[in-house]
Amino acid sequence: MSTRHSLAAAGFLKDREKAGWHDKTLWMVREKRDRMSRELPEWEQLRDAACALKMYSNSHLAELLEQFEENASRNGAIVHWASDAREYRETVLNILQDHGARLFIKSKSMLAEECELTPYLEENGIETVESDLGERIVQLMHVKPSHIVLPAVHIRREEIGKLFEKEMGTEPGNSDPTYLTHAARKNLRQIFKKADAAMTGGNFAVASTGEVVVCTNEGNADIGTSLHKLQIAAFGLEKIVPDPDSLGVFTRLLARSGTGQPVTTYTTHYSRPQEGGEFHIIIVDNGRSRILAEKGHSKTLNCLRCGACMNTCPVYRRSGGYSYTYFIPGPIGINLSMLKNPEKYHDNVSACSLCMSCSNVCPAKVDLGEQIYLWRQSLDGLGKADRMKKFISDTMEIVMEHPAVFNTALKIAPVVNSLPRPIVYCRMDTWGAGRELPEFARESFNRMWKSGKVKGGTGDGNGHEGHLAGE
Amino acid sequence: MGSREEILERIRRNTQSVYEYPDLSVLKKSAVAYGDREKAFIKALEGAGGETVIAEDPSCIDSIIRKEYPEARSIVSPVELLECRTASPDDFGSPEDLDGTDVAVVRGDFGVAENGAVWITDFGRHRALLFIAEALVIILSRNSIVDNMHQAYAHDSMRHQRSFGTFISGPSKTADIEQALVFGAHGARKVTVILI
Amino acid sequence: MESDKNRLHRLKIGLFIPCYVNAVYPSVGVASYRLLKHLGLDVDYPVDQTCCGQPMANAGFEDAARELAEDLDDRFAEYDYVVGPSASCAVFVKDHYPALLKNKSHRCHTEEKIYDICGFIHDIVKPASLDVSFPHKVSIHNSCHGVRLLGLSSPSERNIPYYNKLRNLLSLVRDIEVTEPERPDECCGFGGMFSIEEDAVSVAMGRSKVLRHIATGAEYITGADSSCLMHQEGIIRREHLPIKTIHIVEILANGL
Repeated sequence: MSTRHSLAAAGFLKDREKAGWHDKTLWMVREKRDRMSRELPEWEQLRDAACALKMYSNSHLAELLEQFEENASRNGAIVHWASDAREYRETVLNILQDHGARLFIKSKSMLAEECELTPYLEENGIETVESDLGERIVQLMHVKPSHIVLPAVHIRREEIGKLFEKEMGTEPGNSDPTYLTHAARKNLRQIFKKADAAMTGGNFAVASTGEVVVCTNEGNADIGTSLHKLQIAAFGLEKIVPDPDSLGVFTRLLARSGTGQPVTTYTTHYSRPQEGGEFHIIIVDNGRSRILAEKGHSKTLNCLRCGACMNTCPVYRRSGGYSYTYFIPGPIGINLSMLKNPEKYHDNVSACSLCMSCSNVCPAKVDLGEQIYLWRQSLDGLGKADRMKKFISDTMEIVMEHPAVFNTALKIAPVVNSLPRPIVYCRMDTWGAGRELPEFARESFNRMWKSGKVKGGTGDGNGHEGHLAGE
Repeated sequence: MGSREEILERIRRNTQSVYEYPDLSVLKKSAVAYGDREKAFIKALEGAGGETVIAEDPSCIDSIIRKEYPEARSIVSPVELLECRTASPDDFGSPEDLDGTDVAVVRGDFGVAENGAVWITDFGRHRALLFIAEALVIILSRNSIVDNMHQAYAHDSMRHQRSFGTFISGPSKTADIEQALVFGAHGARKVTVILI
Repeated sequence: MESDKNRLHRLKIGLFIPCYVNAVYPSVGVASYRLLKHLGLDVDYPVDQTCCGQPMANAGFEDAARELAEDLDDRFAEYDYVVGPSASCAVFVKDHYPALLKNKSHRCHTEEKIYDICGFIHDIVKPASLDVSFPHKVSIHNSCHGVRLLGLSSPSERNIPYYNKLRNLLSLVRDIEVTEPERPDECCGFGGMFSIEEDAVSVAMGRSKVLRHIATGAEYITGADSSCLMHQEGIIRREHLPIKTIHIVEILANGL
């Protein structure tokens, strides 16, 4: 009775020290987020507004996207539409090939990860360099991001020190974060200058102005795009917001929720191409329009990709991003993966204790936990329900639907208490690996009641004890 | 164009319930506001790793910059009146050439008290100036600080047509190595806002 | 006009005893009954209750919960309130029965009458005092469903004023010292079948929760959900940790 997530999580937890560090690091981010949210008395109203704005924009997508296209074109940008990952990749490649670009620098974009852009460009002879420090680290390590905002959060400084020693010639044994960050700055600055074109994702696309808004702390998106005449920005179509007024709401929530800052260092509005340059904008669907029709799940389109649900998720913090089988882990990843392909990604649905913390941190009020509950209901229909779990559930159902059977079970259950440990624990190893089994009572409440052993205690029935308010 | 029609058609077909644009007026009215916006701005900027210097009068700007950045050899700015500037961004044919700039000095349109950000559209010929210099100095009027981002996006100067604009709140930073905060990831290592 | 007190005392209260309380913690059931009686209420236990269906539904088998829901709905038809010592089960009934039972012909609307015992005493009975003593230090276990679904305390994620109904109730007890752990409402990792399907994560969550309770210096972990306490007790016993668990009603009814 285990999913791929549960097996990978068990592996992750074997290194107790590192797993504890991972949990603590992410909890620290959650605490920063809490402090930020408490500085704003209007926090809950802000979340309501963000949710309402997303409900508006996601139910007016066609007209907002058309409006965006019109305004962006008027600004001098060239707007492309991509139905799926393949069309998106090909569009990027075509633009780059048209300009003879060979070295391409990009800032962090979960859409690019989703559509596997970098490997595709590399196969087609375009060297693609990630400029966000965390993304660069995972790229050089040839691994995937383990978190959507903090891609290298699972990697220790010593590992990064060794990596940079090999890749950038830093001092052996020096793993000081300041030293390493500045070494990467120097190294990437040269690549920024040599590159032929730059790309960003988009946090927001503003329909009424045709602008793409990109939020970063490092300034990598800005350096990249401002050094080159050829700029590409691509975003998933749910990133559209109606107007600058709505940005007022979202920019107040995004960094506070994601990293616990009042705002990202840079909130950049891209409107026109650089002098003599080209600004290409790619609007990507890749399954998003289909989510609109998913009853009970369309609210996932509210997601701002802030990562707060990962930081708060007790399961994510204790199992790491790689235990999930989808490129986005944590509560939002579980939901997005099921929307992508339930047959393929159902293993992630187990990674939730239904604690509902995610639903309460989400700045756009995606009902993450509630949706995971809904997905669980659909697994049986997909034939993906765990057989053991179903067996237990069916057995419980039979027992519980028949009070007589339940009562008999209760009567004989205490026998388990006195069985030799090997018998009890080898049969119940999934519970018993780390915990003692509960001890069944010698007599159930039901039996006690029937035999008159449940009494009201001192002064039963005379009702003079207890003093109600207002007396 | 790609699959424009196909995508729009799918959206129209799949859209279920339709929601109205929410009324944001109550939120905007109840949003955080400060008795002393300047003080709040200074505190927020400090939290973001930036610093503020108050110039009693515009003639002090040069001496403040020299005092803050005594080692600076190249000071690039679109502000013509700045005596300490060594070059204008317009002197550079290509933005890459700005690499090596010690200090960039620009004017900010307005500041935001709740987060220490300044809206900037002043960069001369090259937007890169704002990001490529080792340090960034922003000259900002003390009277042009708004409370929060709602007011920021409603600000008059946001209505102007622009090619590019950015809110900058303190120096470039990262915490990608073990969540340890480091300034100077890619952009300016140090940011000074001079309030006049 | 009839006083709230008199009105309350005439209402019929059905004691809802969840399956695992019935089987593992009957003393919690006994304490619940005593406490409600002590408060002068008309309480009865409809016999042969089994399960509300939550374990099956949370595991993804709502259909398996439907018949149980119908049975529970019928069983409590004649009561004005349904009160049980489990926040999680109470809120399952409250939130999921309307959908589970939408095709049932004779609806008794248990979901409108059901209360977790703490919420019931705190919000409905509102005793000004309780004549009990518990001379120990206890650490409150704010269970996820109690906090985030039933509102027994302010969720730590939300920017709303702090409140904690369990703490308020415990403040009626003499000689008690009440504390809450660091990360006061982080999940303990029970989660029904989650605890066996994701046993490694579940145990890791439980262990860190128990250690945080221990760090408060408390002798007991107490809360409104026996299921969370059962899970933590399993870890405490396996690792021989220096803390015990006790359901909050056993404290509130101590010595009654």
